Amino acid sequence: MKEFEQLIKDCIAGNQNALAKLYRQFAPKMFGVCLRYAKDSTEAEDNLQEGFIKVFNNLKSFRNDGSLEGWIRRIMINVSLEKIRKQHLMYPVEDVAIYDSINYSDDVIAKISADDLMKLIQELPPRYQLVFNLYVIEGMSHQEIADEMSITQGTSKSNLARAREILKKKVHENFGEINAKNNYTA
Amino acid sequence: MRKDRNLDELFRDKLLNYEQEPPAYLLDNILSAVAGERRKKKLIFWRVAGVAAALLIAFVAGWQLNNGDLPEMKQADLVGQSSTPTKSPEIQIQSERVMPAQEINPATTSLANNLANSASQKTQSRSIDLNSESVATTFASKSTPIASSNESLLMKPLKSLYRMIKPETENSNTLQAMKNDENSPALIQKTIDQQIMELNKKILTAENTSEEKARWLVGAQVSPEYNVSRGSQSRSYASNMLRSSSANQVDLGGGISVEYKKGKRWSLQSGVYYSGLGQSSGNSSSSGGKDLQYATSGSNYFNTPVSLAPNSNRMSMNSNAGVIELSKIPSGLVVGNSLEDKSLNSAVIVSSTNFIQNFDYIEIPLYLRYTLIDAKFDVVMLGGFSSNVLVGNQIFVEDSSGKSLVGKTKDMETLNYSGTLGLGIKYELSNRLFLNVEPRMKYYLNSLNSNSEVTYKPYTIGVFTGLSYEF
Repeated sequence: MKEFEQLIKDCIAGNQNALAKLYRQFAPKMFGVCLRYAKDSTEAEDNLQEGFIKVFNNLKSFRNDGSLEGWIRRIMINVSLEKIRKQHLMYPVEDVAIYDSINYSDDVIAKISADDLMKLIQELPPRYQLVFNLYVIEGMSHQEIADEMSITQGTSKSNLARAREILKKKVHENFGEINAKNNYTA
Repeated sequence: MRKDRNLDELFRDKLLNYEQEPPAYLLDNILSAVAGERRKKKLIFWRVAGVAAALLIAFVAGWQLNNGDLPEMKQADLVGQSSTPTKSPEIQIQSERVMPAQEINPATTSLANNLANSASQKTQSRSIDLNSESVATTFASKSTPIASSNESLLMKPLKSLYRMIKPETENSNTLQAMKNDENSPALIQKTIDQQIMELNKKILTAENTSEEKARWLVGAQVSPEYNVSRGSQSRSYASNMLRSSSANQVDLGGGISVEYKKGKRWSLQSGVYYSGLGQSSGNSSSSGGKDLQYATSGSNYFNTPVSLAPNSNRMSMNSNAGVIELSKIPSGLVVGNSLEDKSLNSAVIVSSTNFIQNFDYIEIPLYLRYTLIDAKFDVVMLGGFSSNVLVGNQIFVEDSSGKSLVGKTKDMETLNYSGTLGLGIKYELSNRLFLNVEPRMKYYLNSLNSNSEVTYKPYTIGVFTGLSYEF
């Protein structure tokens, strides 16, 4: 953390070079985060811009005892969530679907690039995309997602199951074989 | 070895630390936005600082001016007693604007003492009254200004401020000292200081409670204005004048207002308003007129004497607002020379038309507003003066065929002054938006017509309705 202390101080003082340095340090990774929550790169750019403005304006409130990257990531996610909240209603769907887990072989995985997966995520309906991101990538529980998005856990589970279903289908269509099958619920 | 992974792992592994370089222009956008935010914050800071500085300057200036209003600003009226131990030190202060005791010119001390002696003969009270409101004014009226101040004008408010922040304990110590040594010359000084401190504290408290950020309001209002004709004419003028049987007319007024609000209750309002003033003049029955034998009996016609300018169509006649000058003889008008008077300029007109005199004014008001009731429905009282610039002066003739412009009223003043009184209701539609309904009465302070034979000072009553926005 010490490596960023002086940089943060300079940023708080309004030093443009320090702001640019901090931005360059984290922008690519944060753009990746924003891309996952956006429907396209334009929306991701908007979120990234808004997120970094918030970061720079609130650096004073950052406590040095935590991870700066984690703090910035949280801001980016919050900005993205806020955008989705404003743009889309979170429909309370309670029917929890049973999801058939699929295992992919290394051969299949090797064929699929991160960009390809990003595209698949962006094509998901917003509420599925959101829950999938929070649950699978960020590692949040359904309870946390429900609290975050003011929905029920049932809705979160249902959305996740539907997201998985769609993704599974698209992966199969685009990249081929399904290796194994296990049944489990979200 | 072939390793299988499920869908979640596939996405997590590939996307958790996914990175992509964002477009370069984003950094410029972000930096300029952050710089803008900082500028905005700085601006807010400077605004607040500016308001604080303005308040401080206003406070100091007000203090200064208040001191300057009174003669004792330079020469404090001090009345003290030190020469007669048997008598109590009756210490009187004429007003709260008293010079500190330390600044009394030593040369005038004896005069002060003498005055105090004479004063103490009148009142035998032993009390040391620290309440300024109960300080006897009789003394003050008899006291003579003494003790010229050597203090610079700049230092006075600063010293006063210093006194305000003196600790309370110092006051009690002073009081104790006074009790112990009632007759010492220092007693007079300390008591005066004590009173100054008390009064300054009161002023500071009052200012702190009433101090509030100044606000601006802009608004727009419209109003129907009911004009009531009011004036007088010389006898000779009135004998040949139109009868203003229907002199009152409703016009439309309105405009844009700007209000500066300081504190909760007082505000100053100005703006630009348009104000229409008009009157319609008819006439009495013509049936008895000896010059109107040819007119239909029983009908209402003008039988007003007019002056005809030789060899032209120009014609003039008197009205209560001034001389009407017709640039042309309106259609449908019959002009008849008096049968008994051979002079050309003595004639009558015969018509069933009405003459409408319209005057248009641009009004620039300065109103002082006071909020009587500060609630969801504010009740406001306002009063003030306006400068009215004449921008329109027209006369129309109205008959069955319509309305036509025929001339203007002579000798109308270009600039007039009016006074306004009003009472209004202000309804808070939102935090910043207000609906105003304000009945106002405006009366002209000077005659609108410069003709010495005519005094024309109408008044108007209107209900100004509109919205105002606070920022």
